[in-house]
Amino acid sequence: MIGWLTTVDHKRVGILYGATAFAFFLVGGVEALLIRLQLAVPHNALVSAGTYNALFTMHGTTMVFLAIMPFNAMFFNYLVPLLIGARDVAFPRLNALSYWIFLGGGIFLNASFLTGTPPDVGWFGYANLTSRQFTPGPSVDFWILSLQILGVSSMIAGVNFIVTIVNMRAPGMTMMRMPVFVWMTLVVQFLIVLAFPPITVGLIFLMFDRFFGTLFYEVAAGADLHLWQHLFWIFGHPEVYILILPAFGIVSEVLPTFARKPLFGAPVVVYSGVLIGFFGFGVWSHHMFAAGMGPVADSAFSIATMLIAIPTGVKIFNWLATLWGGSIRTTTALHFAVGLVGLFTIGGLSGIMHASPPVDLQQTDSYFVVAHLHYVLIGGSLFGLFAGAYYWWPKMTGRLLDERLGRLHFWVLFAGFNLAFFPQHYLGALGMPRRIYTYPPDAGWTAGNFASTVGAFGIGLGVLLFAINAWRSRRGGLAPADPWDGRTLEWRTSSPPPPHDFDAIPPVLGRDTFWREKYGRLGLVDATRTGVAPGPGVRAVQAPAHEAFHLPTPSHWPVVMALGMVTAAVGVLTHLVLVLLGALLTVFAAFRFALEHHDKPEHAHQAGGLGLDHRKLALWVFLGSECFFFGTLVATYLAYKGRSVVGPAPHEILNIPLTTISTFVLLMSSLLMVLALAAAQRGDRRETRRWLLGTALLGLVFLGFQVYEFRAFVHEGLTLQQNLFGSTFFVLTGFHGAHVSVGVLWLLTLWILDRRGRLTVGDAVKVEIAGLYWHFVDVVWIAIFTLVYLVP
Amino acid sequence: MSCCRAPIRRLVASMGALDVALGLGGCARDGPMTTLIARSDLARSILHLYGIITGVAVAIALIVAVVLVWILVRYRGRDAALPPQTRGHTALEIGWTIAPALVLLAIAVPTIQVIFRTQAAPVPAALEIRVLGHQWWWEFRYPSLDVVTANELHVPAGRPVALTLDGPDVIHSFWVPQLGGKRDVVPGRLNRLTFTPDTPGEYRGQCAEFCGLSHANMGLRVVVDAPATFERWIAAQKATPAEPTGPAAEGKAIYARSACVGCHTIRGVSTGSLGPDLTTFGSRRTLAAGMFPSTAATVAAWVKDPIALKPGSKMPALGLTDDQARAVAAYLLSLK
Repeated sequence: MIGWLTTVDHKRVGILYGATAFAFFLVGGVEALLIRLQLAVPHNALVSAGTYNALFTMHGTTMVFLAIMPFNAMFFNYLVPLLIGARDVAFPRLNALSYWIFLGGGIFLNASFLTGTPPDVGWFGYANLTSRQFTPGPSVDFWILSLQILGVSSMIAGVNFIVTIVNMRAPGMTMMRMPVFVWMTLVVQFLIVLAFPPITVGLIFLMFDRFFGTLFYEVAAGADLHLWQHLFWIFGHPEVYILILPAFGIVSEVLPTFARKPLFGAPVVVYSGVLIGFFGFGVWSHHMFAAGMGPVADSAFSIATMLIAIPTGVKIFNWLATLWGGSIRTTTALHFAVGLVGLFTIGGLSGIMHASPPVDLQQTDSYFVVAHLHYVLIGGSLFGLFAGAYYWWPKMTGRLLDERLGRLHFWVLFAGFNLAFFPQHYLGALGMPRRIYTYPPDAGWTAGNFASTVGAFGIGLGVLLFAINAWRSRRGGLAPADPWDGRTLEWRTSSPPPPHDFDAIPPVLGRDTFWREKYGRLGLVDATRTGVAPGPGVRAVQAPAHEAFHLPTPSHWPVVMALGMVTAAVGVLTHLVLVLLGALLTVFAAFRFALEHHDKPEHAHQAGGLGLDHRKLALWVFLGSECFFFGTLVATYLAYKGRSVVGPAPHEILNIPLTTISTFVLLMSSLLMVLALAAAQRGDRRETRRWLLGTALLGLVFLGFQVYEFRAFVHEGLTLQQNLFGSTFFVLTGFHGAHVSVGVLWLLTLWILDRRGRLTVGDAVKVEIAGLYWHFVDVVWIAIFTLVYLVP
Repeated sequence: MSCCRAPIRRLVASMGALDVALGLGGCARDGPMTTLIARSDLARSILHLYGIITGVAVAIALIVAVVLVWILVRYRGRDAALPPQTRGHTALEIGWTIAPALVLLAIAVPTIQVIFRTQAAPVPAALEIRVLGHQWWWEFRYPSLDVVTANELHVPAGRPVALTLDGPDVIHSFWVPQLGGKRDVVPGRLNRLTFTPDTPGEYRGQCAEFCGLSHANMGLRVVVDAPATFERWIAAQKATPAEPTGPAAEGKAIYARSACVGCHTIRGVSTGSLGPDLTTFGSRRTLAAGMFPSTAATVAAWVKDPIALKPGSKMPALGLTDDQARAVAAYLLSLK
């Protein structure tokens, strides 16, 4: 039992994610059934309006963040290392940390039921309904804090998997030889690290409005309520690709295995996944076609949305062509994968209909879009997840799921799902708005709603059948290593794999490397190509006969850190003391976590096949997300420039000469940081300490200037709550100051370590990473100084 | 005219596809909130585009479904031999990248045209109406005619209507499906919706952006009048209500001495502005933003305890007896 609390094994973390996700999935499912029961007949009184509003809010939030995303994470965790021929992820303890933070966030969100104040503002929480004025109780606060906690979990995992996939592939596994599931995972992780910062900022704005009286969503102060919508959907649209791309990846593994031929056009499937991820950042305002953005914005986002349909459609065709000409084995996994192909096509086509703003003006905010989103999320994501479940169950548990029961599960779910959601297209066409707790009997919506409710229970029955199948598999048939005659590396090790995954790192012969190993050149015969020789590097790469490998050691700090975070969140809603205790516990645990393996020789060298240090790569990825974080803060500052209803205005209060000096100080600190790194790299410990301390001191001087400036502004009448300038200025520069403070702490920690003789030449990379962070924070300041202080 | 034949043919074809699709589902196109009946220029433009896109979507869905089923039947694995390990086909892949692009182009061009046409500035002759979305009722102001009313909007047939949408509290969305698509009410922004209704009749609408507890109860009615009828309606809105007699007189007395006057305006009687203007309440067909038909019984029940009927209602119960409530209801219904 304790083993599970301290595990850092990616396989166990994956199982934890899966089991927890399933529990939350059931909670979200019950919420859905209550919704459908309430809507089964007109003017129903099963639940009150307030309860209903909480139900659909929690259903959406739970299914997106506590079910689908962690189900995806289960597969990322368990399979990515196996698929790339690695033994674990790049940062096993961070991996565990992601899980425990997720668990804490999920429990925290659902604890709102215990206080009788579950969030009830929709999973999208539009301002200004979410303001303290219109929703005074703690429901929205539960929502904000949970999402922030869950965001931290996802971001950490995002960094972890990017580094893992880039850095830890087995020798010979070039990027284009990676299984498509790994590619989709990689795209998803980039989406996560770049899409979460905008909503983090949007939620910070909302939290500050509610707790500190800032004015980000305060119409009377000149705020624009579209700000929330933009920030939410800049996250929200990539989020739907975060939800679906893993399912696309699963289908891209399952179909070739059971058609017994390669994925048709695998490179194109990869490119289209990357394009979808890229374009996914350019379509967000198609959620705002009714919001009044104007014809130019409407047209631009309409065209972008239609463009993104092309790579998506291409995938469907590639999957069809994979099955075409194959020798199809109709296992349950294949049923679900084929189900996704059909159902996602329907969902995607209804999405195309939404892409036309005039048509969308009828469809948006009606049951038509509810039908669309469930076709892509259930017909797409959930069916894909079930395909993965049946496909990889033997690998993960060592047991086979029953195929007959599985097919029953499929058909019950398929029938129930279509009965539940196809009628909703009609309900939308007949004008039924969404998010309504009841409807009149003369609207013509009664039959459709009743049918939909029946179908919803069919879905429930299907899920129950899966649960039974899963439970019974404990005594089911033992699974061999390769039950499906698979194509990829996870089938090359036992079911389940040993703790170290592979006895020897496998050779990589090309794409579908295991298939090539089994079938040799015969397997490569390609009926449509004409005499093209296989590409270079297809020769088997011999793995070393014996390599010493180091298994990651368990750690209890992830659990403690997560506990600290949740305690702090509870404190926000109860007592400040708890916030302080929770924060202290988190920081303490973070230090112990960071230093746990600091002196261990086996942790000194952490580079991968490309020669990049894991930690450096991780920091670069993190800095990418920080660009989006500060970019959002700066963009908000600029968007609200000139919109303050009362003074003081920037030109009346900013002290440019003074800030020029503090800017210079900060830039000089970067110079000292460069000197510190040079000293560390040549092993000069005294010099290293001198320049580290100098950098930290200059950072403190900069912070001192900032404190002085803030106090002067408050004295002159500019506060957080005074006007939009006050709100945006203090939040932007305040968060930058917080980043500087973290940097100072980091540098002082390194300085202390060095004083105690615990920083060696081999640790120069740690000084380098701190330096990268420090320089980044300086660059951000240059941007802030220019855009806030210098530009009139 | 030859220029119209192709679009008309397309319209007929697309409507046909729509009808087939609906027919397959066994559903009528009717319903008071249906989007499939168009009674304004805006709604017609939208419905036309909707027909085209639905036709395309249904066609593609059927093709994919048929192909998928055929593949599953035809290529079911029968023996242990490996099938040809086809890895790709460049020409085919280029083809099925270009084909969807062309289909989307065919959708995008009319889409952009309709966007710009329907969001063009309203003509000077348009009837300007300010719509204010409140939690959970609709206020309508006719600035050029000096008329204020609530929940039931009257407009003349055949004349462009230029709605300006705003609100004092949260985001709502104005949606009367048969007169066009929806447009959000965003406090702090002035959104516009312009259309020309063509057929007299009564049209149902509902708020379409989640706005709190009684979002489901924020309906509205739009009555499209023949021009002469509209003029009469305007005149009635501007007239001061006559002195009531009988039970209505008692109701007026109760009204005038109760807290009602703090929230409601009745011309010549009270000037509250937190709730709907009640000057011509009796001429409206529904009450409480479309929740109930306006009858003596429903109005009395509402006046007695609004929150029981409409969760979260800002109108409190004033502790009236049943008789008092009936009297007030009689008064309100007399306000025509």
